[in-house]
Amino acid sequence: MEIDTETVLKIARLSRIKITDSESTNIQKDLNRIVEFVKKLGEIDVDGIGEFNFGKTNLKNMRQDSDVVNDITDDILKNTKSKNQNFFTVPKIVE
Amino acid sequence: MNKLKLTELGIKDSRDLLNKKEISAAELTNAYIQNIKESTKLNAFIEKTFNIALMQASRADKLIGTNSQKSLCGIPLGIKDLFCCKNVKTQAASAILDNFIPPYESTVTQKLWDEQAIMLGKLNMDEFAMGSSNETSAYGPAINPWKLNDSDDLLTPGGSSGGSSAAVAANLCAAATGTDTGGSIRQPASFTGTVGLKPTYGRCSRWGIIAFASSFDQAGPITKNVIDSAIMLKAMSGFDPKDSTSAKIEVPDYEQQLDKDINGLRIGLAKEYSLEKSDSEAKRKWEHAVLLLKNMGAEIVEISLPHTEFALPTYYVLAPAEASSNLARYDGVRYGHRATLDTNDSILELYEKTRSEGFGTEVKRRILIGTYVLSSGYYDAYYKRAQKVRSLIKNDFDEVFKNVDLILTPTTPTSAFPLGSKGTQDPVEMYMNDIFTVPTNLAGLPAISLPVGLDELGLPLGVQLIGDNWQEPLLLNTAFNLENALAFESKPKNWWA
Repeated sequence: MEIDTETVLKIARLSRIKITDSESTNIQKDLNRIVEFVKKLGEIDVDGIGEFNFGKTNLKNMRQDSDVVNDITDDILKNTKSKNQNFFTVPKIVE
Repeated sequence: MNKLKLTELGIKDSRDLLNKKEISAAELTNAYIQNIKESTKLNAFIEKTFNIALMQASRADKLIGTNSQKSLCGIPLGIKDLFCCKNVKTQAASAILDNFIPPYESTVTQKLWDEQAIMLGKLNMDEFAMGSSNETSAYGPAINPWKLNDSDDLLTPGGSSGGSSAAVAANLCAAATGTDTGGSIRQPASFTGTVGLKPTYGRCSRWGIIAFASSFDQAGPITKNVIDSAIMLKAMSGFDPKDSTSAKIEVPDYEQQLDKDINGLRIGLAKEYSLEKSDSEAKRKWEHAVLLLKNMGAEIVEISLPHTEFALPTYYVLAPAEASSNLARYDGVRYGHRATLDTNDSILELYEKTRSEGFGTEVKRRILIGTYVLSSGYYDAYYKRAQKVRSLIKNDFDEVFKNVDLILTPTTPTSAFPLGSKGTQDPVEMYMNDIFTVPTNLAGLPAISLPVGLDELGLPLGVQLIGDNWQEPLLLNTAFNLENALAFESKPKNWWA
């Protein structure tokens, strides 16, 4: 199996998703199944093939970098579970 | 006109009656509201906006009274829960977006309201559009109005736009929006006897649509028929300064272009897209569709898309990779679910606990696999290689479109399956559903699914037409001709009211 227990914990940490020991076994099994499935890509010769893109980005399609006034602070803050005045609050980050 | 008949009409027929003032928008809207109230068993709507709908209906009637109506004036629609709607709960059917109320409107839905359409509510879907059966929804699956012959089994309406397909098939709205990342409009349409269109990448703005895999996601309509698809597509399409991947290409009047015959059209059948069982009703319906196209003067050409077998593995590297990046924003700080913390928990615990509690199993799986294929040491072997194979798949289509105008394929390998019957032991089993739809998302091409008949189980089957970039007029016109020739009129029996 390509993805061992340690790798599951590593990618869970990178993904910022807590997984319990009891979940870990099933997740490991599923991830290995998917990896086994996508390994088919190894069968194909991709030498000299470019990576896919939809063509050059057309800079004319970019909007002007100009300021837009949106007075929606209160509407945005309505969606948070924790705020103080006009700020989102989180656990203490610095001592 | 009685209630049932009224809601059986699609957009075009409703529009004609509204314009002749034979019915009012209020009457039409109330008929749909009544149907929605009677259809809780289908679990299609996860947020109802009847007050908004009635206000919009009243305004639509005034506009019609002064002959100031636009293309969707007074037409009641359902909106997939992936589209942000200002001041309306928008949760992508995920617990992590619990009670999220966007302070802005998606461009596509804004365009629909600008055309004076009516909003009945938000439709169920797979969580963040990740799924093929609607079973990953935090609100439980939407249910297919169709049932197997002589069986009480509940069937999937497909996914991810399963609420949209169920609602259109059960006459709970005149039409619905969907989004299609790997088949999420076309597969549900095929499972419910409706018409589903995935436009060319860049045809519709993605702004305000909750992102899953940004280089694949496209909005499109699910409708009762092809004309309605043309009407919806026109309203939804166009360049948007807020989405630099939307195209500055004029939007044609698709409805006006449904009057051409298809004599001489070259239609490719790819040998890689064949149905397994040669003696099935699905095969017979498929051959019948091919014959009808031939009878209308189309030339059927055998083609090959040699890299088709690599499409699903490519998709299941790239789409999770993009998802793992797009879904990084759900951290519990600014909106949605936030985990309850212990006294000494740090901000890392806030992120990890929130995401662990808020995301469902399939979404977590895709974030994890996406993180894996992008991580140091695996990036070249998976992500970079998949991007190259994606080029090969696009090249296959480019080569084929030098020789044919359109490609015809089955939309799905099977008709709708019972809820709980697939993917419970093996996630890849569910992924196989997308085998005929994913390649066009990889290539960015437009495709439409339309019903072709019923199989031996009494369930609808779909065929898919695929076009080259920006060939929606040809796609819709050909689908319109085929729809007329097929004359598919079966409807699900109403067991849910």
